[in-house]
Amino acid sequence: MDSDSATPAETVRKEPLFEASTQFRNWRFSPEGLARIRERLNDVAVAAIRNTFEVDQPGSSSNVAFLDANEEVLLVKLYLTMISQLCAMFRFPEEVEATAVSYLKRFYLKNTVMDWHPKNVMLTALFLATKTTNNPISLEAYTSHIPKTASSDVLDLEFLVAQSLNFEFVVWHAHRALWGIWLDLQSLPDAPANLSPSIYDTALNHVRASRLTDAELIYSPSQIALAAFSMATPELALQWAQSKFSGNESNGLTLDTIFPVLELVKTMILRDGHAPKVDAVREVDRRLKLCKNPEKVAGSKAFVAKQVEEERKAEEKRNKKVSEAQKEQSDPFGETIQSTSLVDYGDDDD
Amino acid sequence: MDAVEKANEARQKNWIKDRKVGEGAYAVVYQGREATTGRKVAVKKIRVGQFKDGLDMSAIREVKYLRELKHQNVIELLDVFSSKTNLNLVLEFLDSDLEMIIKDRSLVFLPADIKSWMAMTFRGLEFCHRNWILHRDLKPNNLLIASDGQLKIADFGLARDFADPGYKMTCQVITRWYRPPELLYGGRYYGTAVDIWSVGCIFAELMLRIPYLPGESDMDQIKTIFRALGTPTEEDWPGHTKLPDYVPVGQFPRTPLRDLFTAASADTLNLLNKCLIYEPRKRISALDALHHPYFFALPYPTHPSKLPKCSTVLNRPLDEVDANVEMNATGPGVKATSKGLKRKLASPTELKARSIARRLDFSKAPPSSP
Ligand SMILES: Nc1ncnc2c1ncn2[C@@H]1O[C@H](COP(=O)(O)OP(=O)(O)OP(=O)(O)O)[C@@H](O)[C@H]1O
Ligand SMILES: [Mg+2]
Repeated sequence: MDSDSATPAETVRKEPLFEASTQFRNWRFSPEGLARIRERLNDVAVAAIRNTFEVDQPGSSSNVAFLDANEEVLLVKLYLTMISQLCAMFRFPEEVEATAVSYLKRFYLKNTVMDWHPKNVMLTALFLATKTTNNPISLEAYTSHIPKTASSDVLDLEFLVAQSLNFEFVVWHAHRALWGIWLDLQSLPDAPANLSPSIYDTALNHVRASRLTDAELIYSPSQIALAAFSMATPELALQWAQSKFSGNESNGLTLDTIFPVLELVKTMILRDGHAPKVDAVREVDRRLKLCKNPEKVAGSKAFVAKQVEEERKAEEKRNKKVSEAQKEQSDPFGETIQSTSLVDYGDDDD
Repeated sequence: MDAVEKANEARQKNWIKDRKVGEGAYAVVYQGREATTGRKVAVKKIRVGQFKDGLDMSAIREVKYLRELKHQNVIELLDVFSSKTNLNLVLEFLDSDLEMIIKDRSLVFLPADIKSWMAMTFRGLEFCHRNWILHRDLKPNNLLIASDGQLKIADFGLARDFADPGYKMTCQVITRWYRPPELLYGGRYYGTAVDIWSVGCIFAELMLRIPYLPGESDMDQIKTIFRALGTPTEEDWPGHTKLPDYVPVGQFPRTPLRDLFTAASADTLNLLNKCLIYEPRKRISALDALHHPYFFALPYPTHPSKLPKCSTVLNRPLDEVDANVEMNATGPGVKATSKGLKRKLASPTELKARSIARRLDFSKAPPSSP
């Protein structure tokens, strides 16, 4: 169909919005896929850091106990719970908290805790989330409420975090989907009379628990919401699902396909949806001090070496730019007036 | 190591900046191309180092929404990368905008042309609204035109989502001449209707070839609207006198649209009227607008490739640039951003086209009331 000659209304197609989102396209994995990504990330990181150790001092990596992928996940999980604490302190809306949690998880699908400690990344992820959810707070107000934190601690990592998120800032949340189910239920023709708010609160707590799990990286927000709702009240969840999916096979969703998925989500929430044991995390963190990437430790030999190399590259680039600019100026066929006003010599910072 | 930074560097290398083509309040825009394909693009470089709170909200909004929205009538964000202290947005390159076209007096618009631009605007806007996004800065200058004639909604620096009904929002949005009365009266709970009002103003401007409601201040804007459309009664717009910044500005009678838009068809005026209804809840939605008889009646919309384009005949001296900037500085402002409307000109071709446009600026605008 030629959309240009069609009437305007004909081009309006009702494709499901979530399926067009960056979350659906780029941030959903199978459980195995997720495990593979983390294994590989961990392998590559360990190999690189081992190499850095060896360059620094041969033999020095042999008795370092590097973290494995599961230990990395455990450490990140502790900082997911810290995001909640900070959000409570700042009284940020739920949207901010849920978004920051997603950012932190996504960040560690691209990076390792041995390079970037979650205690720093968490602060940046949360600050970024206040902005991307349109709840901005000044950096000064933010850092002044967090002990031992300078503005630069937050800002220095902002680009890295944004890059790791692939600049995809929109996150679809299960707590919103849950609210949708709740509103839906109230408008059902045979709406149950006993819709006590405590049902909703219980379900919401399950959704919050799900934030400590991998659920959002595997399942859709509505699947998580329905699973949480079904944990609070299986009968009402069924009633809602029936009203939604029966007689509506067009979207490929049926009760038969949905309920097995809900079981998987529930299992995951019950198994993983709680804060990690402090002792276990402390042990991981203690070992991290010994195996973190020395290139990221200010003052170390490897750190200095890397900086020198970067400075050299930048210098090279500046020289190249200047010589190109000079060439352009002396070009007898150049547009003399425009080249001076329109080529930006001034900002060679790119 | 640092796969993320390496990936960023690879992206950066893929987009070559060729020359500066414009400058906005917080960004420099370059014409560039994709290294591998030669595809022409625009690279919008936003300086971030200057902001004490890091990435600023306009940049964040623009990236956030454009990353999700893919539609023929919404500008396409091809890539994003960072470079030291800059954020770079790679956008599809768009030759001109509707403001330039409206102001190019060498162009004649047929009713079918206007219908085509309106259809594309409503399609793009319907898509935004369907995705729960309010644009909040629609004006001819933010409707860019591709070389194939397609119109693209651009500049999402003031956009926001409205998934939460009853959520308090700022009323300091939308450039004054395109700002609806509920915002001028300080309304903090609003919705998609604000964008529709702007589209109504653009619709009228396409027919008049000058801004329809050019108020000189926020207060004067309300008066300008009422002078054109009549002071609303409580029945026209229930509850408006209770809005936070409500002030009575006098009684003006409603002049029939027909008196000003003498050549327009009945369908045209009916749709225009529905975009400019005072009561926001009664204002037409983008979806309903697309189903309006206007779009089904003759003449059918012009094919985008056949729409009028900016001419490139005259050669103007460079000092026109300054004159243009000057004139724009007195244009309508948005308090929320306090951005100037400065637009620097670039290639000789664009320069010519835009100069013609700017010369016929608002100084000559006739009064909007008959
Ligand atoms: N996609 C594009 N293709 C071609 N040129 C563009 C594109 N986007 C922007 N430009 C040019 O760059 C100029 C600056 O654009 P930008 O969006 O930064 O600012 P603006 O909208 O003009 O002003 P402000 O930032 O104050 O709103 C535009 O006026 C236009 O000339
Ligand atoms: Mg603009």
